[in-house]
Amino acid sequence: MTDLRPLSPAEAAQGLRRAGDAARGFLGTDPVTQNDALLARELTRREAQVYAAGGALVGCVPNRAQPRQAYVSSTSAGPEPVRALLGHLTTYQRRTSFVALVPEEGAAAFLGAGFAHSGVLPGHHYAGHAFHDLLVLVKEEPCRS
Amino acid sequence: MKLRGYRGTDRGLLSGPWLAGELLGLPIGDWPALAEPTAVPPPTGDDEELCVTDDAFVRYTAIDWVHRRARVEIGVHSPLSDVDTLLARAVEHGFTGLNLRRLHGWVTPVTRPDTEALTAAGFRREAVVPAATWFDGAPAAREIWGTIRHD
Repeated sequence: MTDLRPLSPAEAAQGLRRAGDAARGFLGTDPVTQNDALLARELTRREAQVYAAGGALVGCVPNRAQPRQAYVSSTSAGPEPVRALLGHLTTYQRRTSFVALVPEEGAAAFLGAGFAHSGVLPGHHYAGHAFHDLLVLVKEEPCRS
Repeated sequence: MKLRGYRGTDRGLLSGPWLAGELLGLPIGDWPALAEPTAVPPPTGDDEELCVTDDAFVRYTAIDWVHRRARVEIGVHSPLSDVDTLLARAVEHGFTGLNLRRLHGWVTPVTRPDTEALTAAGFRREAVVPAATWFDGAPAAREIWGTIRHD
């Protein structure tokens, strides 16, 4: 199991900067159009929790309208860091529902962790002089309590 | 019907018996008598825009000027209001007044929303998120509806 190490917003901003293109759209942020100070401020404003998972970053933002649900992101192309994050959120925070908004090329990590397609947001993300669709992926876990 | 900018004297329009964050928030008939009405805060930052009519508000929130998109919330006080015109004005202001390219919002099927009005305004259902909100003592699914300006 991949170990998770919690990061402060400033550490998370630096990690996202190092992750490059893989971090674009991470929890709604973009290290290409936002500097480190703005990244840290946005992560704080969204109450984001960011973790280092091996060489990747994973994170979540709680849904304020439904405390059992969280929006999750990962900079890894593989599913293992996502599985570790879901295990942590399920076990220690009692989250039972997870949503990921990812581009087509980033979907494999989440599909490999058990997420399912729920829809497409057309033209939701701008990068590289073009608008791109985002996939909505969802996963629900049974409540253990 | 004309959208105008929010002023402090319009504060009374910002609360009512709707589900929070709803794209088309119409009054819920069986709203519990002791439940607090849903309220939206007055605009504070540059990622929000708040417009009002005589009996409704239109809130553009989470405006992202890079991705040129915003999430829209509407709260209507009278169920007899002309929601078709209100939605058309909201879309028009978002696309031409704010120069956004995409507008989206939450629709909660369990509240039996007026999806024909949304469709007439150009919105389409794009995704379903299970257990996205809490309603009537249980998690409820929400849909994401959106519209795009093609230019």
